[in-house]
Amino acid sequence: MDRRVAALAEQVAANVISRREFVRRVALVTGSAAVGTHVLGSMASAQAKPKLRAWLFKSFVTDCNEILAKHIEAWAKERNVDVEFDWATFGDREQKFVAAIEAGNPPDLAEMNYQGPMRYRPALRDVTKLAKDLAGARGGLLPYADRVMQFDGKYYGIAHQAFGGGLHIRKDLVEAKGLKMPKVYDPDVIDVAKKLQDPSKDLWGFGQTLNRCDDGNGFMQNILWCYGGSAWDKDGKPALATTFAKQNLEALKFAVDTIRVHKVQPPGVMGWTDVSNNESYMAGKLVSTNNGASLYYAMVKRNHPLADKTSVILTPGGPAGSFVFAGTYNWGIFQKSKYHELAEDMIRWVEDEKRFEEFMKASIGQAGPVYKSRADNAYWKTDPNFEGMKANVLRSMWPGYPGPITPAAIEVQAQYVLCDMAGRVVSAGLTPEAALKEAHGRIEEIHKVRSRG
Amino acid sequence: MAATRVTDLGVEQPDVRRPSALSLSLRRLLGPDWRMGFLFILPIVLLVLSLVAYPFSYAIYLSMTRKFVGMPPIFVGLENYIRLAHDGFFLRAVWNSFIFTFGSVVFKLGLGMLMALVLTSNIRFRSFFTGVLLVPWVAPTVVTALNFLWIYDGSLGVLNYLLVKVFRILPQGVGWLSEPYTAMASVIFVNIWRGFPFFGISFLAGMKAIPAELYEAAAVDGANVIQRFLHITLPALRNIVIIVVLLSTIWTFNDFGIVYILTRGGPGGATMVLPVFAYEMAFGAQRLGDAIAVALYMLPGLAIVIVLLARYMRRGHAR
Repeated sequence: MDRRVAALAEQVAANVISRREFVRRVALVTGSAAVGTHVLGSMASAQAKPKLRAWLFKSFVTDCNEILAKHIEAWAKERNVDVEFDWATFGDREQKFVAAIEAGNPPDLAEMNYQGPMRYRPALRDVTKLAKDLAGARGGLLPYADRVMQFDGKYYGIAHQAFGGGLHIRKDLVEAKGLKMPKVYDPDVIDVAKKLQDPSKDLWGFGQTLNRCDDGNGFMQNILWCYGGSAWDKDGKPALATTFAKQNLEALKFAVDTIRVHKVQPPGVMGWTDVSNNESYMAGKLVSTNNGASLYYAMVKRNHPLADKTSVILTPGGPAGSFVFAGTYNWGIFQKSKYHELAEDMIRWVEDEKRFEEFMKASIGQAGPVYKSRADNAYWKTDPNFEGMKANVLRSMWPGYPGPITPAAIEVQAQYVLCDMAGRVVSAGLTPEAALKEAHGRIEEIHKVRSRG
Repeated sequence: MAATRVTDLGVEQPDVRRPSALSLSLRRLLGPDWRMGFLFILPIVLLVLSLVAYPFSYAIYLSMTRKFVGMPPIFVGLENYIRLAHDGFFLRAVWNSFIFTFGSVVFKLGLGMLMALVLTSNIRFRSFFTGVLLVPWVAPTVVTALNFLWIYDGSLGVLNYLLVKVFRILPQGVGWLSEPYTAMASVIFVNIWRGFPFFGISFLAGMKAIPAELYEAAAVDGANVIQRFLHITLPALRNIVIIVVLLSTIWTFNDFGIVYILTRGGPGGATMVLPVFAYEMAFGAQRLGDAIAVALYMLPGLAIVIVLLARYMRRGHAR
């Protein structure tokens, strides 16, 4: 019991004060104590550090994760801010965003993939000024990054990095047979694959899933472009079985024939996930595979015997040229953030050129440039494999190409429509023509729904 | 001053208000303590309303809207349901769900019965085997599915390694998860592996409750093992079998983890089932209205199973 209340109780007992007076004084004592506590609490919270919630992307390139966290912690210490990290992976990132946005509790800022600015635009702050400031000081944004950060002239993401990658190929095997590195899929990749594979030893020429995963999506998108096709026309309307029907059909036939006709892909490739080709390549079961730089990173970091025997070259092309899709990772600040100025400050801090250079050098080719000045960094000449990775990034396209990036183009990727199209031919026995028509129907339906907003 | 009234005899009495007709009929219908009764059930009614009725009603509303992430819903009536009814991928998911559920439950029933029969017989280390057979049921679904993902892997999986390299049964590995029939069979197998111990342990409990005298009397009458099984064991287990099958049907129809981890509904939608379809619609396409409509399409079928289940459980309880 409070000493003052105890003293008052004694006074009541001794009839020094009346009960009414006791109640009045106790109310005064407890009331003032409560008010005092509240005031102290308010003062304490006024003194407390602001707490910033940041969601970061957990890459397979783990050194980069650590460096990014280190930079943010250094910023937090410098600015006297508490930062609460949360990491999201390829597998759970979008789910977390959907849940947080719908629950009205998104983080202050988050590292998003190329889909983020378009998909979460209603919940994101317009960061045009910061985007232009940063880009202006770095020679400008590269076109593929610029295209996916903005909508109707407003920027909803601050470009951070574009994932480098390419065709990982066993140069020891290619050189041993006196072959040339492939430049186009048909016939180069098929020829090299056929000449180097040995199914009896479980060594396969080409490992490229068409299954429902990011690897499958990326390849199917690229191969349509390489054959001069696309799911979209230049106005952003569905074109899979209309404007570009002929080109898309040829591309689809090539993709499925790598499994059905040429038989250069390992059994089970249509059941692969994003990590399956990495595992198979590192197990020495593949001659070549398309992948992000994380595969090369994993081999170099582990001193894997195949690291020195691997070339990472430009992703092969087709009759219309070489086209690849590269995702630009970026920072988004949510409208609900009370600390958007701090969030902007944090982004400026981590995007500082010296800090980014440390991040990039740890990435072993993954942290591809999004600003012109970064593309000129001497780092990209330190390993012959980096040149292929960088070149791939620099010529990359966006979902929706040759039209604009649209919510419908993003959803077609998110629903794996192109992967399903290939899967329906390889696994369900549909003709390529029927699968193309079916996929076009799905794309039209998505376009219709998304066009209505 | 208290109100009074004058009786027919001219005597002034305190005015005791008569209960209303409604109150009287409620009293007659629900008993004298109906007010107290309502008070007692109020918390659970509020709980059910807030945790079941409200979310369910809101889900029905959302299923009739065009709702994208971060945007307000726009009411579209039955448009989502109609569109889904014409969506080939959705219809394939419905068909796949039935195949997945039926294929799984039938085998779980058979294996579960076999497990229970073996464990009731006089075998050595019975307790040990009971424990071991429960492991699949106890293991988390994610762990199970990830293990099978490795087992089935076309290049690095242990199954192909055994079939091709060790036993030399096949000249080349099989793409267990990449061909439509093997993919569906593979995911069904994992569901069976995971679920049959529940059947087995439930049947085992039922068999233990059957009086031994029945079997002894049947044996004296000359009934063989199969006849005893058909005429004593099965009839005695009837309600347990029905309840377990209905429960498993609901769980299997709603199973998400195994299919999602193993195939994500691929290849080309060959193993796409409704829960995965709904998930992909919600988090992939980010169309929440459509996703809920997919989920609600499952409702009528499951409701029938739930009603049947409730009837059998109440019947068992009444006994």
